[in-house]
Amino acid sequence: MSDALITAISELEEAQVVDLVQERLAAGADPQAILTACRDGMAQVGKRYEAGEYYVSELIMAGELFKQANALLAPHFAVGDGATKGKVVVGTVKGDIHDIGKDLVVGMLKAGGFEVIDLGVDVPVEAFVQAVKESGAKVVGLSGLITLSFDSMKETVAALEAAGLRSQVKVMVGGGSLTEKVREYVGADALGSDAQAAVSLANQWL
Amino acid sequence: MLIIGEKINGTLKKTAAAIAARDAAFIQDLAQRQAAAGADYLDVNAGTASAGEPEDLAWLIDCVQAVVEVPLCLDSANLAAIKVGLERVKYMPLVNSISGEARRLEGVLPLVAERGCPVIALLLDDQGIPADVERRLAIAGRILDCTRQAGVPDERIYVDPLAMALSTRTEGALIALETMRSIHADHTGVHFCCGLSNVSFGLPVRRLVNQAFLAQALAAGLDAAIIDPLDQGLINMLYATELVLGRDHFCRNYTKAFRSGKLFLA
Repeated sequence: MSDALITAISELEEAQVVDLVQERLAAGADPQAILTACRDGMAQVGKRYEAGEYYVSELIMAGELFKQANALLAPHFAVGDGATKGKVVVGTVKGDIHDIGKDLVVGMLKAGGFEVIDLGVDVPVEAFVQAVKESGAKVVGLSGLITLSFDSMKETVAALEAAGLRSQVKVMVGGGSLTEKVREYVGADALGSDAQAAVSLANQWL
Repeated sequence: MLIIGEKINGTLKKTAAAIAARDAAFIQDLAQRQAAAGADYLDVNAGTASAGEPEDLAWLIDCVQAVVEVPLCLDSANLAAIKVGLERVKYMPLVNSISGEARRLEGVLPLVAERGCPVIALLLDDQGIPADVERRLAIAGRILDCTRQAGVPDERIYVDPLAMALSTRTEGALIALETMRSIHADHTGVHFCCGLSNVSFGLPVRRLVNQAFLAQALAAGLDAAIIDPLDQGLINMLYATELVLGRDHFCRNYTKAFRSGKLFLA
């Protein structure tokens, strides 16, 4: 892991990241290899966050850096070229408008190579069902901070069941006040304690 | 400056467990310690899933009122719970909260108007929390139109400008400060109230950030805050800042607080 780009992302050196991506593209490097280096850098940021060395603000900055790098790389990928690891539907459940945790999960999943269908906040039960139907996603992430969201999560899982979709998807839940007991109550497959955990779970499942 | 003690909150894990187990001693200890530290109101938030919330809140209120003589801040998004709370309180409560959301203006505002109690107004609406000052001011304008129409004087409104986490948005606190300054200039009767701990979410040494924000918010017009009255650093900053802002006649609050042992550097 001595790649300068991986280190630049891991150290959150904004100018360096942009320079390195541009230099490499100009030198004719494989855009896929550059993207992989960016993802490796993001994984390191995630680990440093998990270890308590980095803070939320730094995780968010890393997401912005990754977006910038991605924007530079995008024109170099042909349509259908950037194969993703799979689709994940993510949203903050009905009755809850907290977006920080949800946005972190979306950012880290994207950086982890997943295609994310971000439904936003206060997402009605039916919108989750429809998104899973339309996208064929195999993973659903439900976010919620307030205790009111537990019932919405339960309803969402039940609606997936009623629509006959439950067996084709894995459901993960996350949010500040969630516990293993709550996970059981809502009928989700797993509880993720932070954004990095969401990536690990999606990797396991897809 | 009104201090609203934040500790009896069912969204915190220990308190949630105490509510579920009907552990009155745990709740009453929180109430007594906050009251002793000088809280003007005690926030009570049952934090439970919708169905059991009115019952849980009623229990909390009885529990707290059995040991302290401090008015309560009824903190719930559940109309039924607010109703139960209003029936049960011994003293005029502060209601937390209304907002620009239709259901809160239609549900909670008439109750507040009828009882004559002060109320916290969150600057969000059915579209969520606006990211900029302009739209927050627009919501404040709409809320004040409604409260005035309902016969609630501006003096009973505590606008919460919604300070956001700095870790996710660099201007998260600044937007709240500018919103307060602007409303303060146009509607002098309106009060301001906000929680402080949101700004420091996701950062190290959170209490330091909370203190810095408190000082700035006081300067912008904040006159009530939902805080931990047992946070010594915050209480120090509160008295010292009011003094610096020329709101403490002959420094009496500051010197009195010192003599009663409320001010010291830990």
